[in-house]
Amino acid sequence: MRDRVNVYLIEYAINSLLRQKYKSLFITIILTALVFLLTSMFFITNSIKYELQSTVDALPEIVVQKMKAGRHYDIDVDSVDNILEITGVTGAVARVWGYYYFENAGVNFSIVGIDEYEDQYKSSLTNAANNLDFSSSSMIVGEGVKKSMQNSYYKEYFNFIKPDGSLKKVTIGGVFNTDTELESNDIIVMSKDSVREIFDMSADKATDIVVKVSNVDEIQTIATKIKLLYPDCRVITKDDLKISYQNIFDYKSGVFLALFIVSLFTFFIIIYDKVSGLSSEEKREIGILKAIGWRVDDVLKEKFYEGFIVSFFAYLLGSFLSFAFVYIFNAPLLQNIFTGYSELKTSFSLPFVFDFQTMALVFFLSVPIYIAATIIPSWKAATLEADEVMR
Amino acid sequence: MIELNNIIKKYEINKNNTLTALDGINLSIKEGELVVLKGASGSGKSTILSLIAALSKPTSGEVVVDDKRVSKLPENFASDFRRDNIGFIFQKYNLINTLSVKDNVLLPLVPMNLHVDVLEDKLKRVLEMFHIKHKEDAIVKNLSGGEQQRVAIARANINDPKIILADEPTANLDEKLSFSFIEILKELKRRGKTVIVATHDPLFFNLDIVDKVVEIHQGVIS
Ligand SMILES: Nc1ncnc2c1ncn2[C@@H]1O[C@H](COP(=O)(O)OP(=O)(O)OP(=O)(O)O)[C@@H](O)[C@H]1O
Ligand SMILES: [Mg+2]
Repeated sequence: MRDRVNVYLIEYAINSLLRQKYKSLFITIILTALVFLLTSMFFITNSIKYELQSTVDALPEIVVQKMKAGRHYDIDVDSVDNILEITGVTGAVARVWGYYYFENAGVNFSIVGIDEYEDQYKSSLTNAANNLDFSSSSMIVGEGVKKSMQNSYYKEYFNFIKPDGSLKKVTIGGVFNTDTELESNDIIVMSKDSVREIFDMSADKATDIVVKVSNVDEIQTIATKIKLLYPDCRVITKDDLKISYQNIFDYKSGVFLALFIVSLFTFFIIIYDKVSGLSSEEKREIGILKAIGWRVDDVLKEKFYEGFIVSFFAYLLGSFLSFAFVYIFNAPLLQNIFTGYSELKTSFSLPFVFDFQTMALVFFLSVPIYIAATIIPSWKAATLEADEVMR
Repeated sequence: MIELNNIIKKYEINKNNTLTALDGINLSIKEGELVVLKGASGSGKSTILSLIAALSKPTSGEVVVDDKRVSKLPENFASDFRRDNIGFIFQKYNLINTLSVKDNVLLPLVPMNLHVDVLEDKLKRVLEMFHIKHKEDAIVKNLSGGEQQRVAIARANINDPKIILADEPTANLDEKLSFSFIEILKELKRRGKTVIVATHDPLFFNLDIVDKVVEIHQGVIS
């Protein structure tokens, strides 16, 4: 009979938790909050990491920018032909793009120009090129841009203000979609001619040139060659960009790490408090149980159930809440830490990256530790002479 | 048969001082006997009951119950021994105040994982025997002192033990309730239980159901 799961013991444990309902409730809330915080942090960092990786993967191998007086300057479109002649270069495209400050929302949009018959340097742009109507002045916008414009009542078109103060009306032809929202959120895609008009750029100039290389190992050598060809240019490789992206991310992970440490710290304070002693009432109860014939292991089993019920419930609830918070509500507040890539503060949804490791890690950080913290002091009391404990 | 042989029990007060609560107790109690341990406060009565119930161990000497040396039992066996053989009615009752009467009475059986029908039977039997059935679902802390004692007695009898130990059973009772406790003792004796009562209440010293009065004075039988 003793081998069967003892429901009476479980019932007693539940009863015991209910008898101390305020204490149980308090502990459950704290544990749930901790699990929630930990899981949310992991969920968000995982998603951002994934997002970042996709962004980095989509970066051009080499970017050539013309510099003048230490500042980024428009580059001659003709340079493309010279760069194409370098062996190992499989493609070079002059990009026309820039930032447009949208006063109503106080944010910057990135406007990217494309040509209909040009090989796009990014697959996401190829997509946009297929949807863009090049015959009229039209644009494809990111989710965030669309929202900002709608908020200012621009539903079908938008009036860009040119440097000379006149207006350029461009119709909204569609929404830009990529698998990495972090990248496309603040982007506007339109024809290069439209972009040149908005930024007042002449037809023989471009913002920069992106270079495709067939062999990754040659990126560095080719970058050096371009530099020799155009000493007044800055040549940036994918690796350089990767590092700066990574820096932003690492800094932000640091913020999370701090939160993480704070929450763990709180958790251990609770644990410490539990381990450091039982109330005299709890001790007396253990003494009584021993005196009427409970074994030490019966007491410990009962305490195990108590700890398990509370911590596992908190774990499930906390994970569920964090799941809803991050993936359904898009992590309000916490997410802002990560959306500084552009000034654009419109929401973007975090990509869903379910990670068993995260769930397991949070589980092992919460449930067994809490159970141990419940059992250890009881074990100390249960192994004393019952007589002693009841006094 | 309960035997105490040369029992010495010392308590450590602090590093340098020990207190000798029992100093060479020899006592033999036959099955079915009702024995009264008499003595002033601090004489060592409760200590003797604890030793018989294997709630504590003697510093030297041994306690033998039915040929079993209970003073040498390891933890878990001591628990089993208590559960199967001893019903202890504590001076302060030692009930769990926030639980119902029913839950308190059934508490010793929880680890045994018995079938619910068996539990119901046992529960009904003791609640009726000790006249507390009508309070079955009441929370213990809301009961009167006399009722609480009957719950404690019911709990002590739930597993039908052979030995009943009662520590100062009339200390918190008025005269009327004390007499009804004596009725309960009669009932227990009639059922063949070995009963040991530790008390300094004179009420017990001249009862005809009492087989033996043992007087203890500062840890020694006088
Ligand atoms: N756990 C303990 N630690 C220290 N001293 C103890 C302990 N238990 C009992 N004593 C001491 O041992 C002596 C005997 O105690 P015991 O409780 O057996 O007396 P008693 O006869 O039951 O007294 P009372 O009538 O007051 O209940 C007392 O002096 C008591 O203070
Ligand atoms: Mg006493």
